[in-house]
Amino acid sequence: MTAVAAVETVPLFAPADVGIRAVSKAALYVVIASGLSLIFGLMGVLNFAHGSLTMIGAYLGGAVMVATVSAGTGGVARFVLFFLAAAAVFGLLTGVGAAVEVALIRPIYDREPLFQILLTFGLVLVLDEAARIVVELAGLQPQTEWQDAIGTAPAFLGARYDILGVDTRWGLYAFEALVGLTVVVAILLFLGETRYGLYIRAGSEDAEMAQALGIDIRRAFTVVFGVGAGLAGLAGVLLMWDPRFGASVPLSVETLLVAFIVVIVGGLGSFKGTVVAGVLVGVVDALMSWLFINVVDFPGLPELVLFTVLVTVLVVRPKGLLGVAEVGGH
Amino acid sequence: MSLLEVDDVHSYYGESHVLRGVSLSVDRGETVALIGRNGVGKTTTLRSVLQLTPPRRGTVTYDGTDVTGRPTHEVARMGIGWVPENRRMFSHLTVDENVRIATPPDGDVGAAFETVYGAFPELEDHRDREAGDLSGGQQQMVAIARGLVGGNETLLVDEPSEGLAPQIVEAVADALSAVAAEATVLLVEQNFPLAMDLADRFYLLDQGTVVASGSTEGVTREDETIRRYLSA
Repeated sequence: MTAVAAVETVPLFAPADVGIRAVSKAALYVVIASGLSLIFGLMGVLNFAHGSLTMIGAYLGGAVMVATVSAGTGGVARFVLFFLAAAAVFGLLTGVGAAVEVALIRPIYDREPLFQILLTFGLVLVLDEAARIVVELAGLQPQTEWQDAIGTAPAFLGARYDILGVDTRWGLYAFEALVGLTVVVAILLFLGETRYGLYIRAGSEDAEMAQALGIDIRRAFTVVFGVGAGLAGLAGVLLMWDPRFGASVPLSVETLLVAFIVVIVGGLGSFKGTVVAGVLVGVVDALMSWLFINVVDFPGLPELVLFTVLVTVLVVRPKGLLGVAEVGGH
Repeated sequence: MSLLEVDDVHSYYGESHVLRGVSLSVDRGETVALIGRNGVGKTTTLRSVLQLTPPRRGTVTYDGTDVTGRPTHEVARMGIGWVPENRRMFSHLTVDENVRIATPPDGDVGAAFETVYGAFPELEDHRDREAGDLSGGQQQMVAIARGLVGGNETLLVDEPSEGLAPQIVEAVADALSAVAAEATVLLVEQNFPLAMDLADRFYLLDQGTVVASGSTEGVTREDETIRRYLSA
């Protein structure tokens, strides 16, 4: 995660700064975890390749922005291009995800979960290595954030503003919070108001019963795996502008860990749980980053605290905060 | 030809051979009980009809169509509803949503609500409650109602009285009796008098095969064959 990168110029006691960082991180974490939550909840598939798709989404979004934005491109045009890039990446990775489900995941549904874990872990190795090769061929450093892509953000997002006595990137963090909120509302509406959303909520509880009611659960699996992959890519596009993250190959593992923590803490099969856990983890991360960087000098401790939260939840409440099934018992 | 025909069906859980050549038939409008001790294959028979546990040998024919090996959702869409053991509510969905999800995409949800709340007026006051918050009897009513919507002509009902208080069993029996008057029912029920009361005919299973069958009229637990296969 991003504890070290979060040092910047945070004052010794800065509740406003911690607050806005917490809000932006909460939004980002929910978006990062949402696709994994939908896939895990309905299908019981632990998609280790989720972070790789986020990383690829960040590079694809960055590629669109770098190719289309020039020094003379105005702020509004950059926002428009960003949303077009986000839509394109979402659509592309949704299609790729659906194809992966049909070609690779579907043939092993009847096998032990270990096969799915090994398969998706294999995908991580393939995708991350392929990304590293392509990024190097493009003349970029795979290990460091793609600064050219970060530089395509409108000046309003790139600049720091002094508000409430805190000098930070208020525009960027507010933008991330707004996009995150929009994504959450869209997913909640999809789950709550559409027939497919109903299938997903029911299938997350009891896929066999859903089948016996006439629902083609295999098709729902394909749709959800596709949408989950698309959401992973969308999260990548959102992270591409943020200097705390940025497009880089290590973003794959970084976001995968966040997604796992959020989904498990929130509870298997519950998107609302994912939202609650995303907010919780975002707030804890921002608070711990401030505490262990500005008050006590232990930059690695915020991550340790998050993993402690994860382990505590697994031991004390294996269902997670709002889960409908125990992790491992699906 | 019967509406449902199960012919020499062999079904397995892994390597465990559970059904060993089960054959039975259910005519349109009939209520047929499957009886037998625990673990003799009653539930597996229902699961094999729906292809949830697809037979490795034998055939299941519904309304003249061989459905063996077809996907469960296609078999269900042919008009077969399932009221499973332990009810298996979608506990985080509301009662309305439990009904809505059982309605086919091209079905009339309003008509489904009318069917359900007409048959079970008690549920109407709980439409917006999560099904997991209902009492056992109310959940059983939702389970039966869910099996009825979408124009299902046949219901596979598994242990509807299990875990319910006696007065609730009576209410569920009344509900099933009303359903049986209009639908075709294949019923698995441990409560012997209830099964005999609701059904027109019965099949007695033992060790994965049918050992006796016939009309339920006049059959009591004291009959020699029944006593031999139902006693613990």
